[in-house]
Amino acid sequence: MKYLQYHWKSRTFVVLAISILVSILLISLELTDWAAQINQQGYSHGSEGGEGKGIPSALRYILPFVKELVLIGVPLLLSLLLMKVLRWLRRAKKA
Amino acid sequence: MSDWMQNLQKTRYVMDTLLLVSFMIVSAPQSTGVPGHEWLSLLFIVPFAVHLLLHWDWIKQSAKRFSKKITAKERFSLVWNYLLYLMMLLATVSGFLVSVALLPTLNIELHIQDFWSKIHHDSATLIMPMIGVHLALHWSWIVNLTKRMRVKRAKA
Repeated sequence: MKYLQYHWKSRTFVVLAISILVSILLISLELTDWAAQINQQGYSHGSEGGEGKGIPSALRYILPFVKELVLIGVPLLLSLLLMKVLRWLRRAKKA
Repeated sequence: MSDWMQNLQKTRYVMDTLLLVSFMIVSAPQSTGVPGHEWLSLLFIVPFAVHLLLHWDWIKQSAKRFSKKITAKERFSLVWNYLLYLMMLLATVSGFLVSVALLPTLNIELHIQDFWSKIHHDSATLIMPMIGVHLALHWSWIVNLTKRMRVKRAKA
């Protein structure tokens, strides 16, 4: 842990101070017309009684992780594919 | 002492794996329950801060690097990392502002605004594909380190 312990107090203070400052700026978003509009319209997601009542209980624990794997994995694979194509195009252009 | 603690790249690898796993647990309130989700989110600040501390040099040099002649991929990665940081802060802050378990337990009562509910839901969903792209940008490093960690484990 020597890399983590190196100047950790001052560095943690800087990271936290900047994060709190940015967070305060982000909180000020609630003063915008955009926020007022959303508050006026109202917002809800999912159903009141919980989603997928007919789903087996084990699946209800697993499905959120499957959703995360898809939401992270698909853009990951698409990005890797895009980078490969771009690399291939650059090489083809040079040749 | 474990070998990975003596090597910066390996320390980053182990801590980043921990960060990803904890992120996935924190991002599944349907599995952990809302109170679990909120308390775990508070704990999640630790691996997130560790991630930033272990990339301190990158953070320090990032502003200088942006003005230098760097590849398009590096420039994109730089901007993406900062956007991801902002999105992570937005999801965390909005999460605290819609808290129904953590803050009431600490005797802090907030009027929950629909605006923050929407922002929390949208930012938390958007973070996942952003992390996918972030991982893709560092894919060669992930593959290399996975190989190095495996070799060490095989020797031991």
